[in-house]
Amino acid sequence: MRIRLVLAFAVAATLAAGLLLGGLFRDSRGAVPAPPPEAAAGALENELGTADTASLVRTLQTTLRRNPRDVHSYDLLGLAYQQRARETGDPTYYTKSEGVLRRALVLAPNDLLATSGLGSLALSRHRFREALVLGRRAVALSPTTARSYGVVGDALVELGRYREAFAAFDRLAGLRPGLAAYARVSYGRELRGNVAGAVAAMRLAVDAAVDEPEPLAWTHVQLGKLYWSHGRLAPATRQYRAALAAYPGYVYALDALAQVEAARGRYPQAIRLERRAVNTIPLPQFVTTLGDLEHVTGHERLARRQYALIGVIQRLLVANGVKTDLETALFDVDHGIRLERTLALARLARRERPSIDGDDVLAWALARTGHCGEALRFSERALRLGTRDAPKDFHRGMIERCLGHDVQARLWLRRALGLNPHFSLLWAPLARRYAS
Amino acid sequence: MRKLAVVVALAGLAALAALVLPASAAAHPLGNFTINRFSRLETSGPRLYVLYVLDMAEIPTFQAGRIDPQAYARRIARNAELNVDGRRARLIPVAEALAHPRGAGGLHTTRLEVVLRGPVLKGQSSVIYHDNNYRGRIGWKEIVVGAKAHSISDELRAYPKDLLQSPLDVTSVVTQLAPSPGPATQPALTRGRALQAPDRVADSGFARLIGRRHLSALVIVASLAAALFWGAAHALSPGHGKTIVTAYLVGSRGTPLHAALLGLIVTATHTIGVFALGLVTLSLSQFVVPDHLYPWLNLVSGLLVVGVGAAVLWSRIRRRLAHTRAHARDHHHHHADLGWRSLVGVGVSGGLLPCPSALVVLLAAISLHRVAFGLLLIVAFSAGLALSITGVGLLAVLAKRAFGRVGFDGRIIGLLPAVSALVILVAGVAMTARAVPKLG
Repeated sequence: MRIRLVLAFAVAATLAAGLLLGGLFRDSRGAVPAPPPEAAAGALENELGTADTASLVRTLQTTLRRNPRDVHSYDLLGLAYQQRARETGDPTYYTKSEGVLRRALVLAPNDLLATSGLGSLALSRHRFREALVLGRRAVALSPTTARSYGVVGDALVELGRYREAFAAFDRLAGLRPGLAAYARVSYGRELRGNVAGAVAAMRLAVDAAVDEPEPLAWTHVQLGKLYWSHGRLAPATRQYRAALAAYPGYVYALDALAQVEAARGRYPQAIRLERRAVNTIPLPQFVTTLGDLEHVTGHERLARRQYALIGVIQRLLVANGVKTDLETALFDVDHGIRLERTLALARLARRERPSIDGDDVLAWALARTGHCGEALRFSERALRLGTRDAPKDFHRGMIERCLGHDVQARLWLRRALGLNPHFSLLWAPLARRYAS
Repeated sequence: MRKLAVVVALAGLAALAALVLPASAAAHPLGNFTINRFSRLETSGPRLYVLYVLDMAEIPTFQAGRIDPQAYARRIARNAELNVDGRRARLIPVAEALAHPRGAGGLHTTRLEVVLRGPVLKGQSSVIYHDNNYRGRIGWKEIVVGAKAHSISDELRAYPKDLLQSPLDVTSVVTQLAPSPGPATQPALTRGRALQAPDRVADSGFARLIGRRHLSALVIVASLAAALFWGAAHALSPGHGKTIVTAYLVGSRGTPLHAALLGLIVTATHTIGVFALGLVTLSLSQFVVPDHLYPWLNLVSGLLVVGVGAAVLWSRIRRRLAHTRAHARDHHHHHADLGWRSLVGVGVSGGLLPCPSALVVLLAAISLHRVAFGLLLIVAFSAGLALSITGVGLLAVLAKRAFGRVGFDGRIIGLLPAVSALVILVAGVAMTARAVPKLG
């Protein structure tokens, strides 16, 4: 009878533990970041190398219903759920992925795939410190598994620890050259200002991604963005269209294409594309672009509606306990919303994410609130890798201008426009005015 | 006794629910930009009806602005495509109900129910139904046929939280329907408060407690209580040295005071253990895998128990020998023979293994920059753990006293100390033996 009592309690305890673990890293933020090709790396894990994730998910679900202690199937299902989240933009799959991977860890606490899978999940949710811990654990569990180095490197990049990050990427490329490695090598080169090298590596990634629709679309979009960031509209467009051909309705391609159309002055087309993206997944960056497009075409009321939606998304992020995203801070600074409060926000965001992007947003927020001396310090940090990124150069130009260094200001602004004359719907016109 | 078990289990679950429910924030369970759709096709008398439910999460609700239910109903009717015996049939909205249940961040969600009146069926008809509303938008899409047919989501009120269930994606159905006996009465809409209160609990748990933005005193107290309960419940799962504690206390003529002391030691050891392991995980993660530490900790606690068991057994044997020699002089005079060292040993062995869930909570707290609160939660968790262990020990002590009073059989009571020492020893050896093969 004591056994019975203990059993009854064990049920209650299991329930409690389920609630405990199930809710732990949940995050139903509206923003799903442009994802790292982590699930794609999983896709190469041959079992996932099927074109149809949805049917793979169904197969694994059936397997697990029949055999609920099959750790490997839990691992694969967890990764497949993440891939589904990327494909559909539905964050429910993140919650499910986490639950499934945690169950795998309960069954096998040292399971490698579940550990690194939770790491890539943390990355998708912008929880970089957590991702680093999980990635490092995965590396310690098996130092020769390539996948884990991707998780570690991605987290380190976002935390601004570039030397270690690039070392992790090198290790990844050495262990298993492939889509995951090429895409990261490309990103590393882009950060260091080696654009030609970045393009070459991303081309390799595209070649490695054939047969997998979503990863292929993702690499096409990345390659297109590399061209775009240097003002090469025609090749960028080709890549975005290729992405849409590989994965019809791919929102990241729609958004990117909208920006190209806007750069060409074809605003109605741009608005139509961006609206399609927003209606599928209202990511903050999509909504921002849509609002800006409506703003520059004189539809002030519609634009205000989009900007208000950004406010709603922010409220949801806060309600979900998410630390304010860098993108949100950048939006507020760009649109002159409650600047003093936003400066505090930017400081917080940079503390969470001390990457060059964090430095850049903080520098820009400081400049817009008149703290130009301090802004210069962070702008220098933001450009310390030699990254060739038009918005960062533009911010630097505005800071120099604010400090009265007119010659340097013009140089930086011209550099920004030389890289990409269409770098921003809102700011490119101003850059042109001040540069001459 | 069986009844007691049920009562205890129910009480546990009730407590759990009470602790969990107020803590969970209301948010749309399927993510805050989903638009979820449900249709129920049914016949009432000769007429075909469609009950259509639209559930919009926070963002689409905001995007929609003011919702005119009639206009929405008309649009839904237009985009719901019904074919009866190969011919397109019209659906006419005849009733609607609208509510805005509260969602996350003080925002609202939308629940709109519409009754669509279809055609009169003349006998068995083949029916094809397509829901073309909000195509391309993410969400739960469900269609059921029949007035009594089961809906997995309870008509979009409670979405399944099963990990092995993908969001449903059914937008069309092909079926046969026949007129049902009786007059045509249109399906009922949900009214009043029920319409306002669908399940808005995305999921609940500890992270919610930690992740809360504003920590009011009430929230903190509730969180600590929840942690205490979870700890207590956790200790009752297998392991955690309950057997050893029981055997030890029973065999050594422990008192309730001893049981309480044991609880204290367990709490302290467990708290320290979790903190230490958390530190290792955070700062030395490159060099040490915490999971590799577990077998070693297992071994240490196993050896500790072996040591305690052996020491107790040895003292019993010695006493027994002395006792027999002194039998003539001293008639039945036992001393309480609880050594402090062995008490600490048993307590430490019970708390030495940090529960992984407590560790996870600590890491979450750290990543949320709420270290102090996280530490507090873990202390509460450990205390709950100890509470259970102490409770079990206390039960054993009291039970033994009761037996003693009934005066069962002097010989059994007399043998108890030696038997209990043996139990401890065997348990320790088993723990050690289990730990050793995992060391590799």
